[in-house]
Amino acid sequence: MVEPSTGGLVAGALPAAVLVRLLTVAATTALARRPRPCRWVALGGSMAASVLTLTMAAEVIVSGREVEGVLFHHAASGIVFDYAVTPLSAWFLMVLGVVALPTALYSAAYFAHAVAASRTAVVGVAFNVLLGSVEAVFVATGVIVFLGAWEVMTLATAALVATEYQERANRLAAYLYLVMSHVGTGCLVAAFMVLASRAGATSFTAMLAGDVVSGPLRDGLFALFLVGFGVKAGVIPLHVWLPEAHPAAPSSISALMSAVLITAGIYGLYRVCAFGLGVPDERWALALLFVGMLSAILGVLYALTQTDLKRLLACSTIENSGIVVLGLGAGTMALAHGHRAVAAVAVAASLTHVLNHAIFKGLLFLAAGSVVMATGTRQIEEFGGLLKRMPWTALFFFIGALAISGLPLLNGFPSEWLTFQALLLGFTATPGLVRLNFPVAGAMLALTSALAAACFVRAFGIGFLALPRSRPASDAHESPRLMLVPQAWLATLCVALGLFPGVTLRALETVIASLPGLEAAAPTAAGALGMAPGISSFDFVYPAIFGVAVLAALVVALSLTARRGAVVRQVPTWACGGVLTPRTEYTATAFSKPLLMIFKAIYRPQRQVDALAGASPYFPQGVRYRAEIEPTFERYIYGPLLRGVVRTAGAMRVLQAGSLHAYLAYVLVLAVVLLIWLGGTP
Amino acid sequence: MSVEALLALVAALLQAGGMLAAAPLLRTGIKKMKARLQNRQGPPLLQGYYDLAKLLGKESVQSETASWVYAAGPRAYFATVVAATTLVPVLVAAAPLEATGGILLLVGTLALGRFALATAALDTGSPFGGMGSSRDMTIAALAEPALMLGLFASALSVGTMNLGVLVRDLVQQGPSWHPSDLLAFAGLFIIVIAETGRIPVDNPATHLELTMIHEAMALEYAGPDLALVEWASAVKELLYLTLLVNLFLPVGIATGFAPGALLVALGAWAGKVFLLAVAVTLVESTNAKLRLFRVPELVSVSLGLAFLALAIRFL
Repeated sequence: MVEPSTGGLVAGALPAAVLVRLLTVAATTALARRPRPCRWVALGGSMAASVLTLTMAAEVIVSGREVEGVLFHHAASGIVFDYAVTPLSAWFLMVLGVVALPTALYSAAYFAHAVAASRTAVVGVAFNVLLGSVEAVFVATGVIVFLGAWEVMTLATAALVATEYQERANRLAAYLYLVMSHVGTGCLVAAFMVLASRAGATSFTAMLAGDVVSGPLRDGLFALFLVGFGVKAGVIPLHVWLPEAHPAAPSSISALMSAVLITAGIYGLYRVCAFGLGVPDERWALALLFVGMLSAILGVLYALTQTDLKRLLACSTIENSGIVVLGLGAGTMALAHGHRAVAAVAVAASLTHVLNHAIFKGLLFLAAGSVVMATGTRQIEEFGGLLKRMPWTALFFFIGALAISGLPLLNGFPSEWLTFQALLLGFTATPGLVRLNFPVAGAMLALTSALAAACFVRAFGIGFLALPRSRPASDAHESPRLMLVPQAWLATLCVALGLFPGVTLRALETVIASLPGLEAAAPTAAGALGMAPGISSFDFVYPAIFGVAVLAALVVALSLTARRGAVVRQVPTWACGGVLTPRTEYTATAFSKPLLMIFKAIYRPQRQVDALAGASPYFPQGVRYRAEIEPTFERYIYGPLLRGVVRTAGAMRVLQAGSLHAYLAYVLVLAVVLLIWLGGTP
Repeated sequence: MSVEALLALVAALLQAGGMLAAAPLLRTGIKKMKARLQNRQGPPLLQGYYDLAKLLGKESVQSETASWVYAAGPRAYFATVVAATTLVPVLVAAAPLEATGGILLLVGTLALGRFALATAALDTGSPFGGMGSSRDMTIAALAEPALMLGLFASALSVGTMNLGVLVRDLVQQGPSWHPSDLLAFAGLFIIVIAETGRIPVDNPATHLELTMIHEAMALEYAGPDLALVEWASAVKELLYLTLLVNLFLPVGIATGFAPGALLVALGAWAGKVFLLAVAVTLVESTNAKLRLFRVPELVSVSLGLAFLALAIRFL
């Protein structure tokens, strides 16, 4: 067991970060009338606090030693806020910091355009409160602080989603987010209360010792926690809020939400579901595998048909959350059957994907923010030709697109590779028929990553290449440097972690070793360059070395074509004898049409074509075309559920008729019943 | 640099060069056999080389609408396919760069090339490029799970995902003739047809917008750029056929670098690839191209075969 450390320089980092955040919030509020300094103070303070938490997280990850401390101690009332940065917390803190830092820098320029001057202070405060509460969620030692921070996190997010509250759609998105989050929080409160009453304490060390509950109660609690954390993680079928809320917020907030906020749910799944309730059950693992598989496939299928760039990215967050849960599912299955080495690989896969997804999704949302700022629209169908007008943003989006498609040499590949390893090793480590789930999950993961590639060829190719499709797109210009630097930083990380995946895995070693049941797992890294999940050389990969081979072949290709130093002749694109206009280009809708038709059992597309008749029915004056896919979950699950709730509420209105006498009668009846019921007990 | 690394480097260069040299012959050979089946004379066997030489000698032409992505597409496609050849055992039961990765790296690298080409196809603004790009990514997405499942079936039966180790173990075990091998082979054969753009999935000889898939992506390319695309596609086809023969019938493959064994291996490899090419030709000559929306049925057959292969092997 590792020794908790309470001394040293880093021990002060977290209280310092909290202090910085509080001062920032105060200063931001004070400067509310002066947008420019207000913005810089809010975001500069946030960056300073992020640097502090990053330092602390790095220290804990490197040393593997937990850091504990007390934030606030009020002797008279006995209120104590203490914190503990375990290696697992540190990993999530690190993921948060890596994205929060560039996002804050980007926001310093972006908010000037995207947020009204009068709202700057509100957004600045909410930004800091959000990050501070997520940090508190990761380091909370007891359920009270945890749930408090969880709630503040939800409220701050809702405030940010409703930044542009003038638009009805944004208000609805914030409302939906609040409702779904509180259903989730309700499940968490119920489950934690049962756990706390069984453990007789509210601290995590007592509640999550693993031996507090057993039998069917344990399964029930697992289900409650799965729903509670699943809402925040955005897994299907609890995802309905995500494609509404994530795009509604300003783009840099969307980046935070998609990259980091969903990891709060993942953290909960790790801390409580997989490693807090004792040795996992096989059925739990199957539930996680199934939820992960469903989220991955449906998430990417939904992303594929979106024409709103930010909605597309939000749907792909569901997919990636699914991949993370898939890895965790393989890990819990291995734990259930006592295969520690396999479980370690699966946990490494899942935690690596948490980091990698945060990086490339943060990058993609920031690049999307630049595009939205330059064009004033989120519709891919109205972009086009942006590469020539915004060369840097296009390059960074392209790198993000390659990474999110799980292609080698970028950071999406190592985590998907590891997830495949987890699934294949899970197959070899599981007895009986159950193991056939793993190759199916593997095939689904392959389908997911291939569909993601199609989705991002579409998003990049239609959005950034060829001719501009609208006036705003042809007038677009590159973002200020302050918005490009954060993107460059994240893009560099995409490439670096793709070429040197061993770095991530080495950092994860202490994290994995700190998890119950995985104390002495074999290392999964092979130096900084490679990954070799140490199980009898099942598989290994060294992307950077192979990258040299690709580079050499590229040199051959270049030397084959670069003859005589000849200039490349520029000619117009052949357009079947006509003139090439943006209207003859392939559209995003057309691009995904074949897949829409092939998966029509899932999409259930509906379309309506109305020809506006002129003098002759054969020569219509115009055509109105409308196509949509059926919102399956909203219509068949949430619709009936909502109607049921409304009907029940209506029926209960009889009780609450507004008559004071009736209410007094209820109190009397309740008092009598309670007296009779409790009368027998001493 | 150690002796092994140096040896691997030389082997990688030789193997990539050899595959590059042999690939045009395979394409022309299939064309020739197809022609003979239709009572035509067909092109001379070296036509593929003449075509490449001619295209490489032409000037480069680029659309005014296009950007650097247009030029990067064919080069990246070529580079990934050629690099991928070093991950597959061809004559010797070892892949030159097997120390850098296995099946997943191979599939990922080919996907990287496809991503590059499909993106570049959208760059000229021509609707044909978009059509080809969309259809190619669609078919690739459908083929990917079946390809992976088929490869998993043979990889899990041996217990490694590294192609070099896999083929060595298969050679040691000798042919098992387990029914699961036949099922996995049949499944993968379908996928190879889909991935290499052969009838009944795609027609390599068509330029009709209703039917073309791969050709539509390459439609805007000319001269040296087109040469790279065509050459890389040929190498990719040879790569898939080699993978298929060495995974399921590793007979005659050399276990060392003795010149005699290498000659035997060369003969055996050429013979086996020729037999598979005959099979591809026969399929192509006796079938009509499927509608795009019938392709999923074909691919699900392959997916089903691969799953059955796994199921009967491990139950």
